[in-house]
Amino acid sequence: MELLTDSFLSAILLIASLDPEVLSIVWVSLKVSGISTLFASLMGVPLGFLIAYGSFKGKRILIICLNTMLALPTVVIGLFVYSFISRRSILGSLDLLYTQKAIVIGQIILILPIVATLTIAAISRIDERYRKTAMTLGANRRQTACVIFREARFGIVAAVIAAFGRVIAEVGISMMLGGNAKGFTRTMTTAMALEYDKGEFILAVALGIILLVLSFGINLIFHFFQGRTRT
Amino acid sequence: MLYVLSKITRKYGSRTVLDIHLMEIEQGKIYALLGPNGAGKTTLLNILGFLEAPATGDIFYHSTPVSFFESYLQNLRMEVVMIDQHPILFTGTVYKNVEFGLKIRGIPQKKREIIIEETLDLVGMSDFVQARAHRLSGGETQRVALARALAVSPEVLLCDEPTSNLDVENQAAIINTLKQINEQRKITIMFTTHYMYQVSLLAHHTFFLDHGKLVPEIHENIL
Repeated sequence: MELLTDSFLSAILLIASLDPEVLSIVWVSLKVSGISTLFASLMGVPLGFLIAYGSFKGKRILIICLNTMLALPTVVIGLFVYSFISRRSILGSLDLLYTQKAIVIGQIILILPIVATLTIAAISRIDERYRKTAMTLGANRRQTACVIFREARFGIVAAVIAAFGRVIAEVGISMMLGGNAKGFTRTMTTAMALEYDKGEFILAVALGIILLVLSFGINLIFHFFQGRTRT
Repeated sequence: MLYVLSKITRKYGSRTVLDIHLMEIEQGKIYALLGPNGAGKTTLLNILGFLEAPATGDIFYHSTPVSFFESYLQNLRMEVVMIDQHPILFTGTVYKNVEFGLKIRGIPQKKREIIIEETLDLVGMSDFVQARAHRLSGGETQRVALARALAVSPEVLLCDEPTSNLDVENQAAIINTLKQINEQRKITIMFTTHYMYQVSLLAHHTFFLDHGKLVPEIHENIL
């Protein structure tokens, strides 16, 4: 118990002192997670929209596949991407392994299904009368799609926030593809794992506190947008 | 004739919900469409509004056969507007809702403002121009939906039970507006209803629909 309270107090002091190492780790985490969320959103939102809005053969199977991908463990994604970017593999010449780019690629694979499935859910919740009303007022397909997108916007934003919450807290991909290099690919979660291995709890607890505060903030925003979809 | 429907059928699965041998609609008149629940009234309005295609048969609009291709239908929908039984308003203000159809038609901003003001005034909702659409009551929503439809100056207005679930005051407002726009703008109107008094107040002609077929008349107690 003493270990925990001591570590906790020291961690608070470490955060308050704006320790450069802590700031660097937090910055790398936010940067990598932000970029992967951005790219996953750019792909996942249109994909989810097209699946939800369109009617085509195999739509149900596609949704089942995306739902299945939600359960992909991060280490499986790490292994999968590793097999493509390791030195002797097909993309080895690009020197991506143990870089932030490698983490971003893995994280995009992790959250693309989250963004897409939550976008599908957001679009599917939109009342069919919006489509009919837009059409009867003379809207073409694109304009009708814009109406649907606009009505579902809070649900879509919630999907993006949920995805960011998922990547900021993941450890497997960052560890396997980033390599936990100090100042380059060390994220909050990989740093915590390393400090734990070393038996140094202060930095780990400090990063844990920051991660929890960030997660709380993300959840707060997520619930705000989810609430807006219900009003 | 504005519309001629010939041998129109519509099926949902194996069930035939509409089977009309011949239906003619004249321009500038008000038509009431009566029938019990499930008679096919809404399906017929959807077909007349070019929102649904019939399974078989031909539709002539202004004596021209209608082809059910999306780009062709979109042009026809510029002239025919349908108001749902429970209309839904887009998120945003009343102004934005009424503006929607006008923007789609590329009407300039200044002209849009004038039309919106006039139309909201016509339905008695000019005080609500900047009100949030989702905060309106059922009657107010119905009136804004009517204004949104009238703003685009349609040739045909299709109203699916325009006064259902409304209080007497709102019912009267809707009925009066429909009568007024038919007289002043010569808009052809078809509305469905269960109330015979609305038929006698408004309609020039009445269609009776039962089990998807046009019948000479329906006994009042099954409406």
